[in-house]
Amino acid sequence: MSEAKITKKELRQVFWRSFALQGAFNYERMQNLGYTYAMIPVIRKLYRNHDEQVSALKRHLEMFNTTPVVAPAIMGISAAMEEQNANDPNFDETSINAVKASLMGPLAGIGDSLFWGTFRVIAAGIGISFAQQGNILGPILFFLLYNIPNFLVKIFGLQFGYQVGVNSLERIQKQGLMDRIMSITTTIGLVVVGGMVATMLNVTTPLKFDINGAKVVIQDILDKILPNMLPLLVTFIIYYLMKKKVSITWLTVGILIAGILLHWVKIL
Amino acid sequence: MLIDALMLGIVAGIGILDGRIFGVMMLERPLVTGLLVGLVLGDVKSGIMIGAQLELIWMGIAGIGASTPPDVVTGGVLGTAFAILSGHGVAVALALAVPIAVLAQSLGVLVRIMNGYFLHKADKYAEDANFRGVTLMMWVPPILFFLSVFLPTFLAILMGAKEVTALINAVPKTILDGLTIAGNLLPAIGFALLLDMLFSKKMVVFFFLGFLAASYLKLDITAIALFGTCLAIIIYVVMNRDEKSSNTQAGPNDFDNLTEGEIDFE
Repeated sequence: MSEAKITKKELRQVFWRSFALQGAFNYERMQNLGYTYAMIPVIRKLYRNHDEQVSALKRHLEMFNTTPVVAPAIMGISAAMEEQNANDPNFDETSINAVKASLMGPLAGIGDSLFWGTFRVIAAGIGISFAQQGNILGPILFFLLYNIPNFLVKIFGLQFGYQVGVNSLERIQKQGLMDRIMSITTTIGLVVVGGMVATMLNVTTPLKFDINGAKVVIQDILDKILPNMLPLLVTFIIYYLMKKKVSITWLTVGILIAGILLHWVKIL
Repeated sequence: MLIDALMLGIVAGIGILDGRIFGVMMLERPLVTGLLVGLVLGDVKSGIMIGAQLELIWMGIAGIGASTPPDVVTGGVLGTAFAILSGHGVAVALALAVPIAVLAQSLGVLVRIMNGYFLHKADKYAEDANFRGVTLMMWVPPILFFLSVFLPTFLAILMGAKEVTALINAVPKTILDGLTIAGNLLPAIGFALLLDMLFSKKMVVFFFLGFLAASYLKLDITAIALFGTCLAIIIYVVMNRDEKSSNTQAGPNDFDNLTEGEIDFE
């Protein structure tokens, strides 16, 4: 019997199917059905035997949860391992899921901070700055700036995962490349968030006092000490409250009420 | 109104499917749905501007891990649509979008619970190596997700537009102005969530750098992002090159704080 081999065709199918990863998200095993769906072309190609197909399907129906952007890389590795399994009777089947389980957590952490915490923030920051003037470039730039890295990581992740296999991520880790990319993007992300706090959090006070006929405008004084001091202060108060485990819903409700009350007593 | 309601329902449907079957391309974010709602209702400019403010407010809302976040899709689409229809702008958008998002979240939770049923059916099909069966069970839940936002949006626009507009007009001006103030404050939640995600103590200085560059030098966000990129490359690529040896990665190891902090989304 000739060797079972995955071709470009199956990998392309896996790539497009990987987009539906969360289509059947459930609380029991999360993205498992989406993952299985993406692996079906590989399973069909590699296994002719009924029992092998059943065990492959059941294997990928186990619990799986990660950030969608890194899923193709893990699928590439799974595909490479399934291929090995199909050709080598001594291959340890359980290692396929062991690898999936060991990768999904750390990769989700990297993917979330890179994409959710950084690329999205930079894209949104630039997009919003245009959109606030009603400029259609806003949403368009937002969409492009996020999706170009999104697609690149998905495409190359899948290829890299398949070609280099399990060792690929270890190798990257050893070279410190991942750490460096994370440091670079986190730095850009923080600089942008700092800029956004200054330009997009519009908090000023209309408070004025008359002291012996001299008008004292509080906002002017604050601006002389540190421009945008109030936005910075508000952000840190909220950050502090979050650290104190106040939930987002309560913070939202609290801010809605505080906004109306503070406006009513003419402080904001 | 029927056509508008139908189209807006579809916009919401596309939005919810973004995270489900389109691989998270940001079609669910208010900045994008705002544009689409504006296109449907013939007021693109307002749509984009309201979308921008809602985007800021929900900056930090994330579907990370197993938690189900507030539904920014239904909230965003309905908030933007009612704001345009009533002609009141951002204050209305936010007054409606925030509570709607929290309410609509429960529908998302319901679908995720129902999906358990299809999962078990898929398990059965897997026993027979029935690929078609497994595939089918994979494709039913997206339909449920679609309906979970399409129906509320469609019905709310079709039946509620007049009432909601009347209700909004009855709200005193002080309250609406106060809501605008609150809307200006709300993005702080998103920023705080992002800080929680990005902060590790050695990096705080970069946040202040961006803040000061915008406050004193009046740089816009694009300029800040570009300068930030150069700065990061100088620090981590150019300066690191000199000490190519094994200890180049000093520092970046205390990143365990980078993924989402222990913040309660409920």
